[in-house]
Amino acid sequence: MSDAPHTYESAAGRIEEIIRRLDSGEAGLRETLDLVREGRGLVDFCASELEAVGHDLEQLRLDELVARLEDGAGGGEAAGQ
Amino acid sequence: MPEPRDSARPGGIAGSELPGPFPVGAYAALLRDQLRRRARVQLFGEVWNLRPARTKVFFELRDGAGAVPCSMWRNEWEALDGTERLADGARAVVAGGPDYYPGSRTSSPSFSFLVRDLRAAGEGDLLAQLERLRRTLDEEGLFKPQKLLSRRLLPRSIGVVTGESGKARDDVLAGLRRRGWAGRLVWAFAPVQDRHAAPAISRALSDLAGWGQVDVIVVARGGGSLADLFAFCDESLCRTVALLAVPVIASVGHHTDRTLIDDVAAASCSTPTHAAETAVPLHCDQARTALLGTGRRLEVHGRRAVVERARALARLSRAPAEHVARQRRARHQQARELRAASRRRLAHERDLTAVHLRVLGRKAQVVALARERAGQRTALGARELDRASRAALALTRRDLERLSLALDAHDPDRTLARGYALVSDHAGELVTSADAARSAGRVGIRFADGQVPARVEDEGS
Repeated sequence: MSDAPHTYESAAGRIEEIIRRLDSGEAGLRETLDLVREGRGLVDFCASELEAVGHDLEQLRLDELVARLEDGAGGGEAAGQ
Repeated sequence: MPEPRDSARPGGIAGSELPGPFPVGAYAALLRDQLRRRARVQLFGEVWNLRPARTKVFFELRDGAGAVPCSMWRNEWEALDGTERLADGARAVVAGGPDYYPGSRTSSPSFSFLVRDLRAAGEGDLLAQLERLRRTLDEEGLFKPQKLLSRRLLPRSIGVVTGESGKARDDVLAGLRRRGWAGRLVWAFAPVQDRHAAPAISRALSDLAGWGQVDVIVVARGGGSLADLFAFCDESLCRTVALLAVPVIASVGHHTDRTLIDDVAAASCSTPTHAAETAVPLHCDQARTALLGTGRRLEVHGRRAVVERARALARLSRAPAEHVARQRRARHQQARELRAASRRRLAHERDLTAVHLRVLGRKAQVVALARERAGQRTALGARELDRASRAALALTRRDLERLSLALDAHDPDRTLARGYALVSDHAGELVTSADAARSAGRVGIRFADGQVPARVEDEGS
């Protein structure tokens, strides 16, 4: 089994490889079960990625973020002093 | 200015020493007349924001120090040579003078330099500067870095730099909705048209990239003249974009416009909607559906791998008995086929024999007929032979009788009967002459009724 993927595209690519291997019918029983297990994990990962962008659009404003960060930094410096 | 006669004229501003108040229409007409009296001149500059209307063609004549709004009657514009080549940034010489449309209660007033003649004078300085900067950035390799950045198929967070009140904002949202994407969107609002635009956009881009939480940035602005879009050709802005570590997707103006940020960005799109779709290459709804299908396929593969092998084992365990049964069925089948073949062969032989019998019967009939004909021919031949033999016998008999008669005619006995005699010597040989008789001495004389010996005596002696 390969290392855990970090991106949707790497996971999707690995899933395609797994499906191709399984469709070829050349994998033995042990390899098939391992591939299916790995594939399930990747599908879960992709589903979680899609889930993260599948509910309500979160809209932020950069100027507010900057102001918040600056306030936080200022507060931290003040606390440090 | 003539004294107004409007009875409804309001009073002036208290304390003001200025004359009036006058009706604005009269003042506007006076202003128009004054402007029209100014000297006619020639101006040169760059044509920008060219807008053909129904009766007039409007544009601005600009240079680095200022600008004048211009208009030209459409029929005069169309009578000129080479106006089809005039585009934003083209250099032109115009001849005419200031004019003023005073407007009315229902139409707006406007000032313009009424152009009565025009000559195109080559590419403008601004466009030439733009091309030089484009070449410089290209030669420095600044068109490439953004294009080498990897863009995520499914970004979680997208930054958008655009005008706060522009339509581009709604278009970006529409594009993201079409992708089925609802992640985190960070708006970085900035002016997109004036001299403050380029620094503000650069700052927004740097802040978004520096925050480290956005996967891709969209820079969007709706259509406008190239002059309006000039902020996106700013050298500092373009250098900032080129060196950002986050991919930037530009959508500035319409598809016919090409600003420098389009060249340095990772991707350039014709509309903000398209830019949003490019920022999220994956169609999320389709991907969810496909993922469900993939999950089902994996389950099927896993289940099939076990179930098929279990079935194979079961098949193997049943194999010997099935083999015997299969062999038995095969032998039974062969026996049935053999019997059927024998029956078919017998029937065939029977049919063949019947045919032979019919042939033989016909041949026997032919032979019998031939035999009958042969018998008839034989009988006929026998009769003919009999007739012939009888005829031959009769003929022979007649010949015999004739010969007999002829023989009888030559028979010596008949001669003897007529009185002749035969003389023979003692040896029985006929003596046919007198000398032979004398020589023989003793002879025998045969008569018809018998033979008598005799002795020859010579009377002479």
